[in-house]
Amino acid sequence: MSSNNYWKGVEELEQTQEFVSSNANEFSEGLPLEKIFSNDDATRANRRDFLKYFGFGLGAVTLAACNKTPLKKAIPYIEKPDNVTPGVPLFYASGSVSNSEGFPVLVKVREGRPIKFEPNKEAAYFGGGLDGLGHSAILSLYDTNRLKGAMKAREHSPTEWKKFDKEVVIALKKTTASGKSIALITNGSTSLVTNQAIADFTAKYSNTEVVSYEPISYSGITRANNTSFGSAIIPAYNFENADVIVSFGADFLGTWISPIKFHSDYGSNRVPKDGKMSKHYQFESLMSLTGANADIRVPIKMSNVGQHLIALYRELGGATAHNGMETAGNTIKQAAEDLKAAKGKCLVVCGSNNEQDQILVNAINILLNNYGSTIDTTNYYKGQSADESSFESFTKKAKSGAYGAVITLDVNPTYSNDAAKAAFAKIPVRISTAITMDETSRNATHVATGLHPLESWNIQEPYKGRFILSQPTISPVFDGRAATTSLLAWAGADVSDKKELSHAYNYTKSVFINTIGGNFNAAIEKGVIENTSSVNVPSFNVTTEGIIETISSRKKTETELILYQKVGVRDGTYGNTPWAHEMPDPVSKVTWDNYLSVSMPDAKKNDWKNGDVLKVTTSTGSIEIPVLIQPGQSKGTYGIALGYGRVLPEEVKNDLKDLGKNVYPMVDMKSGNANYTIAGVTFEKVAGARLYEFGITQTHYSIEGRDIIREASLDAFRKDPKAGQHFHKPKPISLWHDHDYSKGHHWAMAIDLNSCTGCSACIVSCSIENNVPIVGRDEVRRRREMHWLRIDRYYSFEAPEAKELSVSIVYGGNQTVAKGEYMSQEKVMEAYSDNSENEDTAYDYYQNVKVAHQPMMCQHCDNAPCETVCPVLATTHSTEGLNQMTYNRCIGTKYCGNNCPYKVRRFNWFRYNENEKFDYHFSNDLGKMVINPDVTVRSRGVMEKCSFCVQRIQSAKLTAKRDNRKLGTDEFTVACAQTCPSNAIVFGDLNDKTSEISKLYKNERSYHVIEEIGTKPSVQYLTKIRNKQESINKNIH
Amino acid sequence: MYKSKTHIALTALFTSLSTLSFSKNNMSSFYSESTFLALIILSVVLLAIAALLFGIKKHLTALNAEKNPQDAEPSLYQSKIKPIIDGWNPTIATMAIAGILLVVLGSFGYKFGMEEIGVQQGYAPTQPINFSHKIHTGQYEIDCKYCHSTVEKSKSASIPSLNTCMNCHKYVKADEKYNGKTSPEIQKIYNAIGYDGDNMQYIEDYEQRPIEWVRIHNLPDFAYFNHSQHVVVGKLKCQECHGPIQEMDKVYQYSTLQMDWCIDCHRERGIDSKNNEYYEEVHKNMLAEGKEFISVAENGGLECSKCHY
Repeated sequence: MSSNNYWKGVEELEQTQEFVSSNANEFSEGLPLEKIFSNDDATRANRRDFLKYFGFGLGAVTLAACNKTPLKKAIPYIEKPDNVTPGVPLFYASGSVSNSEGFPVLVKVREGRPIKFEPNKEAAYFGGGLDGLGHSAILSLYDTNRLKGAMKAREHSPTEWKKFDKEVVIALKKTTASGKSIALITNGSTSLVTNQAIADFTAKYSNTEVVSYEPISYSGITRANNTSFGSAIIPAYNFENADVIVSFGADFLGTWISPIKFHSDYGSNRVPKDGKMSKHYQFESLMSLTGANADIRVPIKMSNVGQHLIALYRELGGATAHNGMETAGNTIKQAAEDLKAAKGKCLVVCGSNNEQDQILVNAINILLNNYGSTIDTTNYYKGQSADESSFESFTKKAKSGAYGAVITLDVNPTYSNDAAKAAFAKIPVRISTAITMDETSRNATHVATGLHPLESWNIQEPYKGRFILSQPTISPVFDGRAATTSLLAWAGADVSDKKELSHAYNYTKSVFINTIGGNFNAAIEKGVIENTSSVNVPSFNVTTEGIIETISSRKKTETELILYQKVGVRDGTYGNTPWAHEMPDPVSKVTWDNYLSVSMPDAKKNDWKNGDVLKVTTSTGSIEIPVLIQPGQSKGTYGIALGYGRVLPEEVKNDLKDLGKNVYPMVDMKSGNANYTIAGVTFEKVAGARLYEFGITQTHYSIEGRDIIREASLDAFRKDPKAGQHFHKPKPISLWHDHDYSKGHHWAMAIDLNSCTGCSACIVSCSIENNVPIVGRDEVRRRREMHWLRIDRYYSFEAPEAKELSVSIVYGGNQTVAKGEYMSQEKVMEAYSDNSENEDTAYDYYQNVKVAHQPMMCQHCDNAPCETVCPVLATTHSTEGLNQMTYNRCIGTKYCGNNCPYKVRRFNWFRYNENEKFDYHFSNDLGKMVINPDVTVRSRGVMEKCSFCVQRIQSAKLTAKRDNRKLGTDEFTVACAQTCPSNAIVFGDLNDKTSEISKLYKNERSYHVIEEIGTKPSVQYLTKIRNKQESINKNIH
Repeated sequence: MYKSKTHIALTALFTSLSTLSFSKNNMSSFYSESTFLALIILSVVLLAIAALLFGIKKHLTALNAEKNPQDAEPSLYQSKIKPIIDGWNPTIATMAIAGILLVVLGSFGYKFGMEEIGVQQGYAPTQPINFSHKIHTGQYEIDCKYCHSTVEKSKSASIPSLNTCMNCHKYVKADEKYNGKTSPEIQKIYNAIGYDGDNMQYIEDYEQRPIEWVRIHNLPDFAYFNHSQHVVVGKLKCQECHGPIQEMDKVYQYSTLQMDWCIDCHRERGIDSKNNEYYEEVHKNMLAEGKEFISVAENGGLECSKCHY
């Protein structure tokens, strides 16, 4: 058994045979050397073979020489647009793709092709970053499966728009004449343009019924706010004002409501300033990204959230105390004390979609005076606020035959709602405006192919008074038409271009002038308009006694299934973007798969292993799905992610096809709201099923007992700013002369483990910026993922309360570990030994794990181990501190990868951009449009790794030289740092004494990973500080 | 220049040998892919027929010789060639033939390989329009940057778009040389953009198409080159790399564009540290060390990731 404090996965902790043997080697499969050097004639190469191959080679080259050299064309514009300079990117302020409610971004456009999203710094309210899915969704623009034009059912080629419109209008008029209604299904639209178009359409067809639909429901909040304050809204949450945050199952950093904004706000208060930082309690069932970042995380059952809310409410003095409820006793008390001390500067949120739970949350926040400071109901959130009752009444009426036609505006209910298909079948005319043949379009009679958001004009209002303006950044790739334009065309408007300006532009402009007013061009350029009102505190007039009564009377459940969203996939709308699936899940580190996440006690009890296939049965059906054991998950709870099981067009042959299982049909709609916590679930091992192998990156490299992660408690940090860093360091002896960086630039990076939440947006941003190929599930299984930047996730155990234990760790020697300290499994087991004889509780300690995230990329070591072993000098050191990788010199010995202590070098096993096996965007002409032209597309057989975005460094320097000026302080940054929503990564010039990085390098918390081996990395980490009372007492010498 | 004599000799040998191969790029203007294929099939069929006829003849001769042995005369091969071959040393002969084959085929391979990686000094493909730099830059002294307008802003100097051509050629039709008719080369511009040269006006609703120029300077993808860096910051003249462009009727690749060529220049040339504020610190250090000149190489201009990323 290992005596490490930290472990990356259950395999490592238990040191399974497979794990040990596979981690002994750098590469998962060795070379067949024995076979080659054996005396077996069948496999040995002999003289004759040599001559054969030599002759064949010569002949092949000669034949190839008779071929003509491919002629390379240089095709200029016919008329060059004034502002386009070939080779120089343009940035347009526009709206993000994956956020249907509207999110401001800058779109980087090269020669008319959008190639990357960057944060729009003008829109500070929305946070200074992006998320992984948002980045990946740019690929949906270059999806080869996009529809080429207006399509009719059972026809394989597009119809002319004029003919198509005529047919649709006849069908709609027929419906009107027959006295039936037209259903217009839209998302809880925040788009002013869409809403205006719907109004215009409804004016023409008065029999239109607008149905709002969102795949994920937040009706618990909207209904609770309606009851509490008289307005059915989701408020705006301001985490930056909260010193104490208590979350009951709300994954606000990962998937809940508006995570990018929450990330930035939350992150701004997580770095200790003057000995202060926010304190975060998380009570949850599954191990979410938010839970992984909490200071104090308590595993509870999701069905028990109400009980905990009552307990907290009582502790806060909202109602008389009551005994005998199952709550996380002491921690609730502690949380209540902290909340009381931070009245008006704290926040309680809850992920339950139950109205009563949310009313209680409102009552708690009212008690704590949070309205007006951390909760804003005036400039509230307008997105995702569709109530499922709207769609439910539609399905009921549809079954009775009330509708003659249905128009789905950019929504896909057939996929995400079980009742939709049957309802649609009863409607004779079904019109969809999707851009791909999604589940709804496949059953439509007419597909009025829409435009991709990057081809469209739009004005959205995600928060009341905050407008996001979107402009097209590319001409329509195919013959689609904006959905609003289609609606208006059917309403009889003239939608032809006017003076070369599209109807959509003119319409959007008129909406802007009528609703917002002002200079349209200036607004478009900035991309965001803020016109908010001063915050009012709403009056709360609900008696909570009745609610407490109802919640208390809820039945307890033994097992429950929680349907959750994954950070990279979310509701599944953009589930067909390969980058999002290749991004490892921030907590489980699984790529390309959906799984049943199971707690360790449950797995041990039932003798389930990772990859065992289970049959999960609920009242609405059953699915077969592999098991993944998730440390930290509460006993008795099971989780399956929504957003998988998309039915993609037949042409899709890659790993996106048949990806995971769709569990939307399991959502419980019986009690009038969408309930994502399902009771009455049974699990049964599928007999004879093969063990399923996940493409999982967490255990690809071993920590080998090294001191890689450092952390300390806030108390300890206050006493000693170097807390957590008192490790014995050998005296550095160097074989090499130090590099002299005193002249010019010296690039370096600092990563704050405190603000890094592990959200993985940087991984996707890096991949897009640097043309990192997508390899697919099978290659990830072989440990061949190509990400230049990975985020290591470490688990550690916490000593149970009120125990002090002695622990020996890596550098030897015994030490005392205080309660609340992180420790080895043996010691935890020892501590729990009173219980370990009881089978039911033997593995319960697995529910109490702490998580630490650590982004890891090339450390650009001054004494780089990779540089000394390269036989061809393909990797060398620059005078600016970069570890340079020269692909054209590399001959692929892989020595460097073997010798890298940080395991950050990636080998190109294939020519991914030309190999049909890797049928993602890289290998087709349309998908290739997203490639960054400033970065080489690597060929097979070469090593690659993080370059510190050297293309950005060079470009910034060149601009300064051309402008005859010095390079500005922090004038540019690298892709990962730029995209980080919590600003955890900082990059800059150490020789510029005013730069952010120079300041961070002097921070007491800073350390280098494995500095004891003398590599002298250029990437510095800042110790993770947890806001806990207990002292940490690591002193090893 | 440190190019060795052997290097030059080898290059000369291979270049002369490889001119034996017909210029593949010119071929494209004569043959399309399919006609080339058809020709190959045709020649294979003809060869087959020839072989068949030869076989029949041989068979008949043999029959005849069997019937009338007195008629049989020794074949050319039997009487003339066989004795010579029999006289050869088998080892030396095999090696000689193999050697010849190696040199001939190898030179084809070398040429192909070099072109494949973009080594093609002197490359002068036929362009879709017989555009003469000699007339435009030499005779009329139009500034390079008038057409290659992004050379100071971007990594690419860019080939002018058609509307740039039309700035002049709206009026300049060179019709004095063609009996009042528009020059056929200028007519190609008109055909592409949709301009009626006789009535001096653009044609409405014309389906425009761009001119597909053949790219002459092909740097491999893994080498990053930026024109603006060299023209604005390095203050190079176009001719220093592109040669006497003002004298070229047909543009050819003047420089080798090989890495040693880049490096030689980076070693010889200095940076203009005095007049560029970006180099302020470099200049100060330089003066402190008593130097008056600092080469690009000394300033880190030979480091791999300055060009390869």
